Amino acid sequence: MEKVKKEISIIHPRPSSIVAALYTLRDLDVDVAILHGPPGCSFKHARLLEEDGIHVVTTSLDENGFVFGGHDELVALLDKVSEMFNPKLIGIVGTCVSMIIGEELHDAVLEANPDVPVIEVEVHAGYRNNTKGVLFALESALDAGIISEDEFDRQKVLLEEATIVEKRHGAASKEYLAPSRGDLKYKVAQRIIDLLKEGKRGITIMNAKKETGYMFADVTVAVNEVAKQLGVGSNIVNMANIDDTLGLPRVRHHAKCIAADFKERGIVIHENIGGMDEYPIAGDVAGKLIEEKYSDYDFVIITGVPHAIPMDCIPGMEIISVTNGPRQVLPMKEMGHDHVIVEIDLHPKTLGVNNIVESEFGATLREVAKDL
Amino acid sequence: MGDNRDDKMNDSKKPKIIAIYGKGGIGKSSTASNVAAACADEGYKVMIIGCDPKSDSSITLLGGKRIPTILDLMRSGVDITEDDVVFEGYNGVKCIEVGGPEPGIGCAGRGIIVAIQKLKKISKAQDECDLIIYDVPGDIVCGGFIAPIRKGLVSEAYVLTSGEYMPLYAANNICRGMSKINTPISGVICNARSVSREEEIVHKFAEEMGSDLIAFIPKEQIVQDCERDGFSVMERAPDSEIAQVYRNLARTIMSRNTSVMAKALEDERLRELTR
Repeated sequence: MEKVKKEISIIHPRPSSIVAALYTLRDLDVDVAILHGPPGCSFKHARLLEEDGIHVVTTSLDENGFVFGGHDELVALLDKVSEMFNPKLIGIVGTCVSMIIGEELHDAVLEANPDVPVIEVEVHAGYRNNTKGVLFALESALDAGIISEDEFDRQKVLLEEATIVEKRHGAASKEYLAPSRGDLKYKVAQRIIDLLKEGKRGITIMNAKKETGYMFADVTVAVNEVAKQLGVGSNIVNMANIDDTLGLPRVRHHAKCIAADFKERGIVIHENIGGMDEYPIAGDVAGKLIEEKYSDYDFVIITGVPHAIPMDCIPGMEIISVTNGPRQVLPMKEMGHDHVIVEIDLHPKTLGVNNIVESEFGATLREVAKDL
Repeated sequence: MGDNRDDKMNDSKKPKIIAIYGKGGIGKSSTASNVAAACADEGYKVMIIGCDPKSDSSITLLGGKRIPTILDLMRSGVDITEDDVVFEGYNGVKCIEVGGPEPGIGCAGRGIIVAIQKLKKISKAQDECDLIIYDVPGDIVCGGFIAPIRKGLVSEAYVLTSGEYMPLYAANNICRGMSKINTPISGVICNARSVSREEEIVHKFAEEMGSDLIAFIPKEQIVQDCERDGFSVMERAPDSEIAQVYRNLARTIMSRNTSVMAKALEDERLRELTR
C-alpha cells in the first residue's frame, strides 16, 4: 500500500469529464449523444456541439427522476431519437446524478434495443482530471467495436501525456489561477514586425488540440503573410501538427482541411510534427527538430498548447505564445515565455467549420502591417 | 474433506456468486458467514464480500476482529492492492468489507458501486473461488444496494426470512424487485424466530411465489453465544445440531442450479398466510 503523493487541491472551476466524454463521442462520429441527467447539465457545451453537426439531447431528469430513477425516461428517449434522427451510431453519457443513484445505462439499451451500436459512457464530473471522460468514452467505444485496440492504446498514452502537461505547466499546476487576457495583441504584433524588420529568423509552431487548429493556423498564416510583405518570407520556418494519417476520422479530417488551406494560401509547412490529437507529445518532436536544425533561430511563435514545448529546446529565443486558455497565461509567463496572448472564445468559433477562421491576433498583425 | 474436491472443481470452472437478501436484522450476516465457513470445511475456496456500511459481515470469520474497508482506504487516498483489502479468515475464507459512511451522511449506495468497481479492478482472488457470497444490507433502498446484481456480479439470489409478517413482507418486496430487474430467485431460507407454524408459513410463501424453501434454520441460543465471542457456529461449535443445519444448507447451495423468476404475492394473500 503506497501512499500517493498528496495532490494539490485546485479551487478554480475546471473542464468537466462529462463534457470531455461528449466531445469524444463527437470525434467518434456519433449522430446522437444522450445526456442521462438533469436538463441543464453541460448545457453550454451541448449547445456548441450541435454546431458540430451532432444531436445532443437529455433525459431531463427532475426530482422525480432522482428519487425514482430514470430508466424509463432513457428507454423512451432511445426510442425517440432512433425515430427522429435515424442515427447510425448513438452515444449515452452519464451525469453526476444518474451515476450517484446507480442508473444502469446498459439495461436501458437492452430494453430499447436500437438496431445501431450504442456507446455507453458511465461518467460523472467528479474526476480530478477531465481526461477520464475521454478514456471512459474510448473504453466503451472499444467494447462496442467502434475503435481498434491499437487506436485505444495510442489514445490512452496521449491522454496520460496530456494530463502530465496540464499538471506541469497548465491549468492544473496551481491551487488557484486567475483568468487573464494576456498581453496586448497590437503590442506583440508590433514586436513581431520589429523582429522581422531587423532580419531576425523565426519559427512558427502550431501545436493545436484538434479543431482549435482552425483558428491557431490563422496565426501561422498571418505571420507568413507579414514576413512576405516585408520581403523576409524565407526567414520563417513553419511547424504544425497536421498529420492526417493519425487519430479518429474526424480529427484526420481537420488535419486535411487545415493542410489544404495552408497550401491554398501558399504557406509551406516545413515540419509536420504529428497528428492533431498529439498535442501532448508533438511539442517534444518540435523541440528535437529545433535542437537539430533550427537552434540558431531568434524567435519562436507557438500556438495552441505552447506549454507542451520543452523550454530547454529553445534557449535564448524570444518566445511569443498564443493560447485559448485564460488561466494559461500565468504558468507560461513563469515558464519564461516573453509574450503570452489569449484568443478569447476561440473554441466556439472552431466548431462546425472546415476552413481556417480568422484569429484576433492574426487580424491585429495584418492590420498593424497595413500601415507600414 | 478435500478428497472429492477435484470432482467438485470439475463441476464448473466459474465460481458460484450468490447474494442473500432479506429484512434488516433477520440474520443475513450470520447465515452468510456460517454458510461460508461450512463450504470452506467442505474444501471449497470461499470469499465473502460484506456490502453493509456497518462492515460486520465477516467479523465472526475473523475471531471478532475488524478489517480495513475498501472505502476507508480509498478515502485516505492510498493506492490499494489486493493484499490491503482481502483478509483470510476461518479455514481460508477470504474476507472483504466494502465499508461506507457514518449513518446519515453521504451516500452509502454510491459507496457500494465504487467499491465493487475497485475490487473488480484490483482483485484476482475472485477468479480462484468456488463460492463468492455478497452480504448485502437488508433493504434495497436505492440503486447502489442492487449494484452487485446489476453489474452482473451476482448470479444467484437467495431470500432469507422468518415466519413473522414483517420479514415476509420485506422478502415479498425483494422478490418483486428482483423480478423487475429480471433476476431470478434461487431459493428461500427460513431463519426461524420460533413463531407459530413458522416452517409451514415460509414453505407456503416460497411455493406460492414460485420457489422452494431450501433450509429451515431453527432458533438456537448457541448461534448468539458463538457470535458474542466473535465466531461462527462452524468454528466454535462444529458438533452442534445447528452446525449440521448450516452444513446441509451449504451443500444445497453448492449443488443447486435451479432458479425462478419470482411472482410476488398480493399483500392480502401475504397477510392471510400469516394469520
